[in-house]
Amino acid sequence: MNPGQYLPLMASITGILMIFVSYLVVRSKDLVYASTSLAALGILNALMIGLLGYYIIAIFLTIVYVGAAVMFIIITVSMLGGRSKEIKDEYKGLFTGASVVTVALLIVSSLGAYLGYTRPSSIPASNVADSLLTGYTPVIALIFVALAATLIEAIAIARRG
Amino acid sequence: MAIIDSAVAGIALVTSAVMMGIAAYGMTYSRNFIRQLLSIEVLFNAVLLFIIVLSTLSPALLTGFGVVLISIVSGEVIVVVAIIAAFYRVGRTLDSSSIEEEGV
Repeated sequence: MNPGQYLPLMASITGILMIFVSYLVVRSKDLVYASTSLAALGILNALMIGLLGYYIIAIFLTIVYVGAAVMFIIITVSMLGGRSKEIKDEYKGLFTGASVVTVALLIVSSLGAYLGYTRPSSIPASNVADSLLTGYTPVIALIFVALAATLIEAIAIARRG
Repeated sequence: MAIIDSAVAGIALVTSAVMMGIAAYGMTYSRNFIRQLLSIEVLFNAVLLFIIVLSTLSPALLTGFGVVLISIVSGEVIVVVAIIAAFYRVGRTLDSSSIEEEGV
């Protein structure tokens, strides 16, 4: 029995869980629970990306995004207080959400890009590093500077209040 | 195996499309800064999934692009959360409409 034949089933379960967790992020009354659901969404997203064959992105997403960025959000929201008064406009949100889903599904069905999708056989980390450091060195340098500036800016904003 | 790969990719695309809708709903229905930030993060997850399925031309280049994208979004989160913390310290509110009303 080929274990690969269970991939669509696993992808379906992961997809349903992702939609449910996304709904929890948006609708959960307590913002701490909402941001914790965002961490779960990041892990499920990494699982889906792993099922698509991109293991390096999946690992990087889990370590950097879930492990650092989302944890930062959870800690900040916990300090600010999870429950706060919210002004809501349900109909506006429903209209916008339905419009975006319709347009996105139309694009997905019209492109048909998933029909030719093939899982990458194996992407060694050295190939990724080569493609980044040879062809995109200025971009990488710019990102290093931008992230360092971001960190300094964030500390300055938070200290100044 | 090609049919299985296409099925997984199709499921991922539909999931990301629905997630984009949920994120758009969250961004417009609430005026709470943190809720809007969380909705933008849901949108980021959806777009990352969408890009991965659509870009099948160069897996190595896409992996590099994904790493760069995740790094930038992580930096963006830090700045936005710092701004929200500073805004809350000054105005004692997380309501985004109070910017227009009070000029906080």
